Amino acid sequence: MTYLLNRLMSLILTLLLISAITFGVTNILPGDVAMMIMGTQSNPEALAGLRESLHLNDPLIVQYGRWIGGMLTGDWGTSLIFKKPIAQLLEQKIMASALLVVMSMTVALVCAVPLGVWAAVHRDRWQDTASSGAALLGVSLPDFFWGIVMILLFARGLGWLPSSGFADPTENFWLAVRHALLPSLALGLGLMAHLTRMTRSTMTAILNQEFIRVARAKGLSERTVIWRYGLANAIGPVMTIAGLQIGYLFGSIIVMESLFNFTGMGWLTYQGLLNRDVPLIQASVFVIAAVVMLTNLVVDLLYLVIDPRIRLG
Amino acid sequence: MKRFLSAKSLFGLGLVVLFVLIAVIAPLAVPADYATKMVMTARLHPPSFDHLLGTDQLGRDLFYRVILGARTSIMIAAAAVVMSVVIGLPLGMIAGYYGGVADNVLMRLVDTLLSFPALLLALTISAVLGPNLHNTIIAIGVAFTPYLARIIRGEVLRVAQMPYVEAARAAGTTDLQMMVRHVLPNIMPPVIVQATISLAFAILAEAGLSFLGLGTQPPSASWGLMIQASRDYLDVAPWTALVPGAAVALMVLGLNMFGDVLRDVLDPRTK
Amino acid sequence: MKRREFLYTTSAVLGGSMVFGTLGPSGVLAEDAPVKGGTLIWGHSETTQNLDIHQTGTASSLRVLQNIHNSLVAVDKNLNLIPMLAESFDQAADGLTYTFKLRPGVKFHNGATMTSADVKYSFERCKDPKTGAVNFEVFNAVGSIETPDDLTVVIKMKAVNAPFLSRLAENGAGAVIPAGSGDTQGSNPTGSGPFKFVRHEEGNVVEMARFDDYWNGPAYLDGVIAREISESTTRLTGLRTGELHMINDIPADRIAEIKADPNLQVVAWFPLNWDFVNLNHTFEPFQNPKVRVAFDMIIDKEQLLQGALWGQGAVTASPSFPTSTDYNHDLKNRPQDIEGAKALLDEAGYGPGKLKIVFKATTNYPYHIEAAQIMVEWFNQAGVELKIEQLTWADWLSQCWVNKDFQMTMMNFFTLWEPDFLYYSLWNSTGAFNYRAIKDPMIDELTEKARVTVDPAARAELYKQVQKRVFDEAHDIVLWFRNGTIGAQPKVGGLDTIVHPNGSNLNFHKVWLKA
Repeated sequence: MTYLLNRLMSLILTLLLISAITFGVTNILPGDVAMMIMGTQSNPEALAGLRESLHLNDPLIVQYGRWIGGMLTGDWGTSLIFKKPIAQLLEQKIMASALLVVMSMTVALVCAVPLGVWAAVHRDRWQDTASSGAALLGVSLPDFFWGIVMILLFARGLGWLPSSGFADPTENFWLAVRHALLPSLALGLGLMAHLTRMTRSTMTAILNQEFIRVARAKGLSERTVIWRYGLANAIGPVMTIAGLQIGYLFGSIIVMESLFNFTGMGWLTYQGLLNRDVPLIQASVFVIAAVVMLTNLVVDLLYLVIDPRIRLG
Repeated sequence: MKRFLSAKSLFGLGLVVLFVLIAVIAPLAVPADYATKMVMTARLHPPSFDHLLGTDQLGRDLFYRVILGARTSIMIAAAAVVMSVVIGLPLGMIAGYYGGVADNVLMRLVDTLLSFPALLLALTISAVLGPNLHNTIIAIGVAFTPYLARIIRGEVLRVAQMPYVEAARAAGTTDLQMMVRHVLPNIMPPVIVQATISLAFAILAEAGLSFLGLGTQPPSASWGLMIQASRDYLDVAPWTALVPGAAVALMVLGLNMFGDVLRDVLDPRTK
Repeated sequence: MKRREFLYTTSAVLGGSMVFGTLGPSGVLAEDAPVKGGTLIWGHSETTQNLDIHQTGTASSLRVLQNIHNSLVAVDKNLNLIPMLAESFDQAADGLTYTFKLRPGVKFHNGATMTSADVKYSFERCKDPKTGAVNFEVFNAVGSIETPDDLTVVIKMKAVNAPFLSRLAENGAGAVIPAGSGDTQGSNPTGSGPFKFVRHEEGNVVEMARFDDYWNGPAYLDGVIAREISESTTRLTGLRTGELHMINDIPADRIAEIKADPNLQVVAWFPLNWDFVNLNHTFEPFQNPKVRVAFDMIIDKEQLLQGALWGQGAVTASPSFPTSTDYNHDLKNRPQDIEGAKALLDEAGYGPGKLKIVFKATTNYPYHIEAAQIMVEWFNQAGVELKIEQLTWADWLSQCWVNKDFQMTMMNFFTLWEPDFLYYSLWNSTGAFNYRAIKDPMIDELTEKARVTVDPAARAELYKQVQKRVFDEAHDIVLWFRNGTIGAQPKVGGLDTIVHPNGSNLNFHKVWLKA
């Protein structure tokens, strides 16, 4: 319990630190949002006017203070590039990203763990080679490749699923799932490759260890040995990777979100960064950071559940 | 020693050696402009006798682009992965082994790194340090480090509880000896997997950085850039992605096979 | 310059046309009578941001907002000024006073009726530098805006400004919004156009519904849903599966394929925009006209067009709108002559290997990267080492546009059909878009003079001289006009009316869906 409180405390401190660094770093980047809004239509006077009305000329410390002040009162501010309250933007993009995370992680974990175990059990036989080959091809081509393959196969070829678009799950759940299915499959494939490799590798090492031999010698069934003793010890790195993948899916899959016109937090952050929309960058990095850290916290807690002997500081 | 010479390890080793040879020799043996020569009448041609692996959207020969792009891709990716291992390994081991405050501080540092969008990191490095090859490696290396650190920390936590480690501790082994001799060999499997897979990710990531002015600039070839450029032509010319993709896959496969065997050899208990 | 049809439609149902009817004058099929109803789903190639008509400079937002706003005056296909929200307009002989008679009974989407107060509000908002309006300099010469009665607007100028009326024909400057609506325009654009704004889900969709009280007769469509699908493969797939009724911007290499598809129709028009290669005039070698001309001679524009845009466009030596009276037809692109270029460079003191140039190209326009790669080869042959540096849009704007920190780059502009906007902004030494730091007294004089020349023929003549000067001196290397394209299902009717005369905006007023 103290551990949990400790972690939550440091989580808040880290978030503050991250917001300060983000703010500082963003202001180092060349260009500003006024320049981005006007693009190749800008002239110096109009730019100066726009900068003034967007308060871009205020001292940095004042701008940062305004942001912190807003956050403390629950006000996320207004996006300068979209001219919309950031809270509204976040609401929809978080929903889209969360849906993708849940669906693609389900696809990935459900397939990867059994496949990895299967490869480890049949180590160095054709099953192993096949699963290694498939997994490595999976990570050697970027997600957009698998995304386009999915679109061509399931939307254009077979006509089973919509090729793109987001539907609100609170309005029509099944429609939302249908729209999220193709991107989730494509993303899941890439994640799966990584997880399968990780499962196979740690599992192989564990199956070689003394306590597995002891368990076998005790006459336990092969199924119990593999799933209870083997997997419980091998699952750690797989969980860590899965946790890291959740963070990645939530905030960094810009290309895939654009490809499927299923824009979430990755796209929003990308727009903020490309357009130097500081309030939007601040808000989206904050949300992503919170998700990343909470996920890592959950993974660390899972380690405890699975192996209670791990000591805590 | 027997396993070290198995067909699998030889095959893996062979692949790795082959790619390293290509990376070293190709730029010496093949004129550089073979990779950039455009034939406007042969755009997006499938593999044929004239162009063994087909051509890209500007009519450039993919075979030459793959072999001439090998050096940059492998060099950047390998350097970035080595960097992330060199930083991530001690970070993860110290956090996992000592726990407590060290763990909390180091892991929150890792969380911080993980929380920054990779794009922000790359833009910052490009803006502050300038766009060049070294900084490309730094950008990728820094982005990958927290992944390794977290995996290693988790594994150290698990391994440190193993009976043989506890036995060694009881026997009065120093922390450093313990980490190097007992912990390190046992955490290698996930590290090897992560490092080799990171290699593939790094090759692909380089293309994204190229887009920001970091990394290889066109018309020079790199595997990542080739795959990136294939995006708009995938349904009419899938080979433009599959050719460089296969190069990445084969190299990573080789490393993986070799790495698996290497680990078995290093692991004291599987001899 | 070959004159091309301004708008041509090819339809895959061409075989059927033999049975059903004749081809119209512009190649448009004789169609069934339009019917009302249906929501058109458009796969839009770009995402939209701030939807405030004054603050947005991006083509993507303007493409959508064209349907929400109307301007005081407009232009027809031949770029002649025509009445719009102003029933009539009049310019005093001294060129200093404009009088607009407003169309009575024009309704805004919020239910209010348009009056002269709304016009005054709109223009003053645009004029105020604090608004950050992209087109604020249109009103620079404006002294006062008077509203003697509800339907009369009198604008008094401080100085003659010949392009003023034409500039009002673009929504960015000339749109009339309800008085007091400025603060909410960005998130809830409100105007008097044929469609009213319904919702905007950033990066996903913009939805519009028919405005039944539209002064010029209600639209056929119940609504338009613009889905923002930036990935071309996805957009094409959506069109083919029937999820989308139409898409804009068919990838250049696919046009032939879509045209050949019997289940789809293609609308192609010319021009969408134009491209040019820029040389920074503060970079010493480029201060020598010989070097600039040599660089022009190195580039084979026709080949480059084939390579970068799969031939979807037409080379040009002048950036003037092809159908405008000021287009200088005497100018012909310099043909590629590597040896000649080498000789010129030698004369200028830059023999083989002496020039190492960094070419900054922005990844915002992927075909610029392709073009740059093709140019590298030619420049190598001429003994010039060209190194490409890719820049994000923000970096390009800050390095090239604002800080003029580049040697060579490439850019495109939408066809700025108004010549003052085009030539003064880009080539006058004080022009807002003169990021190449070009200082040519002759061009300065010509563009200043044209600005106060009211007679259209005399003005056109001046601009022809500007074009010749830019070409002779190779201040920039003008390349081509690029085609615009739309792909659509056969059931979409009225596509011959969809492209706005400026070549970029889309009008859905007369578009309809077959039952």
